[in-house]
Amino acid sequence: MVVHPPPVHPRALEHAESVLRHPIADESELTAGVTIAPDKRYGFFTDTTLCIGCKACEVACKEWNALPADGFELTGQSYDNTGALSATTWRHVAFVERIAADGERATAMPPYQSHWLMMSDVCKHCERAGCLEACPTGALFRTEFDTVVVQQDVCNGCGYCVPACPFGVVELSLADGKAHKCTLCYDRLKGGFEPACAKACPTNSIQFGELAELQAHAERRVGQLHDQGVLRAYLYGAPDTPGTTGAIGPLHAFFLLTDRPEVYNLPTAPSLPATRVRAGLLAGLATMTALTLGAMAAFALGDDE
Amino acid sequence: MQQPRAPYGRRSEARADGPGSRRDGQAEALYDGETYYGRPAVKPSHYRYLIATYFFTGGLAGAAQIIAAVADLAGRDADRPLVRSGRYVALAGALLSPALLIKDLHTPSRWYNMLRIVRPTSPMSIGSWTLAAFGTLSGLAAFGQALDDLGAPPWGAKLARLAGVPAAGVGTLLATYTGTLIAATSTPLWATAPRHLPALFGTSGMVTATALLGLILEGARAPASSRKRLERLSLLASIVELALLFGLERRWRDCGVAAVLDEPRYAVAYRGGAVGLGVMAPLALHAWHLARGERTARAATLAHLATLAGGYLQRTLLILAGNESARRPRLYFNLTQPAPALDSQGGRRAAEASSAPGGRP
Repeated sequence: MVVHPPPVHPRALEHAESVLRHPIADESELTAGVTIAPDKRYGFFTDTTLCIGCKACEVACKEWNALPADGFELTGQSYDNTGALSATTWRHVAFVERIAADGERATAMPPYQSHWLMMSDVCKHCERAGCLEACPTGALFRTEFDTVVVQQDVCNGCGYCVPACPFGVVELSLADGKAHKCTLCYDRLKGGFEPACAKACPTNSIQFGELAELQAHAERRVGQLHDQGVLRAYLYGAPDTPGTTGAIGPLHAFFLLTDRPEVYNLPTAPSLPATRVRAGLLAGLATMTALTLGAMAAFALGDDE
Repeated sequence: MQQPRAPYGRRSEARADGPGSRRDGQAEALYDGETYYGRPAVKPSHYRYLIATYFFTGGLAGAAQIIAAVADLAGRDADRPLVRSGRYVALAGALLSPALLIKDLHTPSRWYNMLRIVRPTSPMSIGSWTLAAFGTLSGLAAFGQALDDLGAPPWGAKLARLAGVPAAGVGTLLATYTGTLIAATSTPLWATAPRHLPALFGTSGMVTATALLGLILEGARAPASSRKRLERLSLLASIVELALLFGLERRWRDCGVAAVLDEPRYAVAYRGGAVGLGVMAPLALHAWHLARGERTARAATLAHLATLAGGYLQRTLLILAGNESARRPRLYFNLTQPAPALDSQGGRRAAEASSAPGGRP
């Protein structure tokens, strides 16, 4: 087997010193091989077969975004003591253990997370986002990078985005009374940096890039895994895959999974809540029109004076 | 070498041998696999009593304005007290409702951001503008009514009618959009009933409005003929409401999300309280009154009070039970199983033909 030396970006040689006195311009070109420019679409490809459950993404996210700790409770649910995405947790590593007490030895089981699933969950930055379409103030908006972000200076904490999200991502903070979720590091993208979680990921399970390139790369990765015998590998959130149903469309943060979506707490065929608005309004108006006509009859007809 | 397809690789193929396959031609696909430690897959709303109270007052106010307009246009002289009460009740509701909504905000000082944009995909945005329009028109109608009551300028009655009719039009939206508001979420109990809930809330608004106006007319000793006409409307709307309640139950069972309401704490309060005492009992009393041709004020008052309590209980329980349904991953996964690529008739893609989750018609 030929061992290739790790690729080094030519520009990286310009920054050989260990103490940098200033930020590197377009640093993302060095760390992710991506030049960040407005009006292009960016996203995450999270390849769960590469995840080792180190939670560096969770920590990097908290550090960069100055999110408070969630306490030190042990859930008893494998190594997942984070639990779920929340107002103060924008990356969440899920752990699913598959080793029975008297089962096969882990070393005898097939490779690529056949016995222990780990997956770093995040806001999906949906093509049509349930939270954004539900937001009455315009606090939730689509950025020039085609990501979905809550403007903290606009949000009034109505909380309607919370039940609207088909993936249970966004949450209200009781500390400041606003809705919070992953911004895909909007501020970092503006400065030419790749998002904190992707940069911190030591196994490249979290990959940041232009969406079309990520999707093509993900397709190739699935093919490669299939060739290696991991036939259960599939994409969740790439075009025409599970998670993109019901008018939601491709997820700009999508995943490579090896078990059914529900195992990772993801819905197989979610739907965009806004698709239910028209039918509901029409049903309501039709009912009230009928009742008004009935009321007209109740008041106009009859023998009483 | 030809590789077998991944089991969930493509949406259209996901159903072929997946666990969500239908057991027979008719049954809905229910999720029978494992969950992630039983943790919620979606987040529940924070809505509780404030929003339940608003759903109640908003529905009641909208319907009261409709009743006032109908009695104004189609009623007789004996119905003038009813018209007056309807307009004042609508204004009271229009004033109370925004106060409740603003109090429910987590950053109430920014309430005016609700009027920052118009977003037709958001029932919350639609509702904010609806409430603003309803409040303005109801204020004008009540002002005209007040002028008329004081006998001051002759155009008071005209203003009341001119503002009252469009206010009633907006009232139809105010009374029903709240059902769409909760149906346009990912909460299982609500998302499965996008047509039933607006119809139910509007109808319940009508029934509770007749009850409150009925109480006021009883108290004011308004003409018996007007009270009788109102009772007739109450009976009609109650029958519609009861039919909708049964339809809703069936819908929830079909979609596999009825489990929450089957639990004792919700089942007793919802079926016994909101449906039984709140709708069935008053309905029976009104029917008995109208069939006998004579009525007792005490029985009518009791029926009205039961209706009002039932309507409030209904909103509260549907909100609380909805939140509980969102905490149960199985219920959510029941409605997010893939739809078959073709329906039994063939041709049509079920997932695209219906607005309901999972593509069920």
